[in-house]
Amino acid sequence: MRNMYTAGIVLLSGLSLAFALGILYGEATDRWFFGGALVGALLMAYSGIVLLLRKMGIIGPRKAER
Amino acid sequence: MSNGPKVVGFVCDWSVDLVPLMEGGRLREMPSVRIIRVPCSGFVRPSWLEDALGRGADGVFVTGCPYGDCLNREGNYLMRDRVDQLQRRLQRRRVDPARLGMLAYGLHDGPAFLAAVRAFVEGIRALPAPAPPRSAPAAPAPAAAERETP
Amino acid sequence: MSTGAGIAPSPPRSRYGRFMTGVLRGTLKLDVWINKVYPADYNPLYYTGGLSNLFLFILVLSGIFLFFYYEASLVEGFASVQYITLGVPYGGLIRGVHRYAADGFIVAVLLHLFRNWFTDRYLFSRDNPWISGMFLLIFGGFVGFTGYQLVWDERAQVLTAMFVGMLRSLPLIGDWLARVFIGGAGVSDGTLVRALFLHIGPASALYVMLWWHYLRLRHPKIWPPATWVLASVGLVFLLAGVIPATSGQPAAPAGRPASFPMDIFFLIPFWLLNYMSPFAVMVLLGALFTLGFAIPYIARREAPQEMSVRHAGVAQVIDGNCTGCELCFFDCPYNAIAMVPSPAPGLSRAAANRTWLAVVIESRCVECGICIGACPFEALELPKFLERDVQAQVLEAVRA
Repeated sequence: MRNMYTAGIVLLSGLSLAFALGILYGEATDRWFFGGALVGALLMAYSGIVLLLRKMGIIGPRKAER
Repeated sequence: MSNGPKVVGFVCDWSVDLVPLMEGGRLREMPSVRIIRVPCSGFVRPSWLEDALGRGADGVFVTGCPYGDCLNREGNYLMRDRVDQLQRRLQRRRVDPARLGMLAYGLHDGPAFLAAVRAFVEGIRALPAPAPPRSAPAAPAPAAAERETP
Repeated sequence: MSTGAGIAPSPPRSRYGRFMTGVLRGTLKLDVWINKVYPADYNPLYYTGGLSNLFLFILVLSGIFLFFYYEASLVEGFASVQYITLGVPYGGLIRGVHRYAADGFIVAVLLHLFRNWFTDRYLFSRDNPWISGMFLLIFGGFVGFTGYQLVWDERAQVLTAMFVGMLRSLPLIGDWLARVFIGGAGVSDGTLVRALFLHIGPASALYVMLWWHYLRLRHPKIWPPATWVLASVGLVFLLAGVIPATSGQPAAPAGRPASFPMDIFFLIPFWLLNYMSPFAVMVLLGALFTLGFAIPYIARREAPQEMSVRHAGVAQVIDGNCTGCELCFFDCPYNAIAMVPSPAPGLSRAAANRTWLAVVIESRCVECGICIGACPFEALELPKFLERDVQAQVLEAVRA
């Protein structure tokens, strides 16, 4: 299970990098909607990474909730 | 009577659905566990938990709603903190803090709740016998208590 | 008086009560599925209020951006929105963000409404957040509608005519309201100036109503967990980029467009005009909102005796024991306890030297009992579930 989560984080991180490069490309070529959509995709990839980190237990609930 | 360790549970009325699980004040699957319904897990005074342990219960737990979904918003967080503090106090008095538990389960989490209670009861069964209830004079903690691991 | 030690809670006896209990169970059943994917403290349904707040925040920020460029006149209204969409770098994106955050706002607010309704979170003094929440819904919906008006394309023109028709259908005050809404006898530049005011004014008033909404809550959950903040903002941007928000044809002064693309988030009352007269729609809306406001007072799921331990009476301070330690004051989730200068010393030794005395504000108490758990000095009790009742139950439990 842990390996699946790690694989997921690696995949999402790779996608985030691709999205970030796409944002730069969109800015360079004045494709505003394209760049903007990738900003959204990047944030969603980040949210997935945070969720997977939480499911792996690397980040955790506050002490009052354990 | 029942041959398990005597456990008392304070269960919040909003948390796990007790109707299919209870029979006459006890859990059907673990008759040594007695249930007391409370309006919110935060209603429970830590002194009542100590009291229960002192009067002969082998273990006592509080069950509230899942964290984030307390009907009264903060009751389960507050109770979790109080149980933590009580566990530290018990530890100083050489009562095993594992006799105290805080659980968080929602309306439909019956099986998960039962599994957690079972684990709690089994954990208590494995503990060495506690000091005698408070009716006995306060002799220096019997050898059993000194062997307890905090 | 023991409140049923160990006796299983009884289901409500009325048909409505049983129906609502079924709805409650169904609502919580959703959690079972969601908690398979997300850890319990990431369940978005626990943070519907925070999500609404987040979307409102996005709306305000994107709205400020749009406000810089918008010009409120019949010709310039449409033209300035076109300029934002096509001429300003990322302007079209921010316009889309504004549109989709508004949709997200309505979705989150409705989820919030239904969840808090179906899980009994409007009882006792929690009617205050409910009433202010209904106002927030009404004002939010209206702000969304005026937002569509500001674009002044054909859809805006039809919507304005429809809304004026709905206003005019009201007896006595209808014509006057319609004149106030469009700023005169007919549509003019002043109409859009007024629409801009009716967009930004109520939107600002939302924050005043949010103050009321949070008033009796300690530590309101106004921000969702990080995962959901990122996902919501990301989704809004993604949608804005992939499905850009666009205007329809510009509204011609003499034009009588017959239809417009439907939006299910804000424009359902106007869709109803296909089937009902304007007056009937107004009556329906009025009835819905009146019932909505009345829910805390007429829609109790359980009769008081069915609530048993959950209706154990308003917390009472045992004056003689209170030491003024403030623990109950800090723990009450509804700000229902106030500390007042003690008028006289307490009776117990610990209470004899007190400076403060705890007082329960009974109109704010929801009978949860958290203050009883907080008090180390036995200075608080629930009248129908006293400490001695608890201890009797404990004794019975361990004796057996």
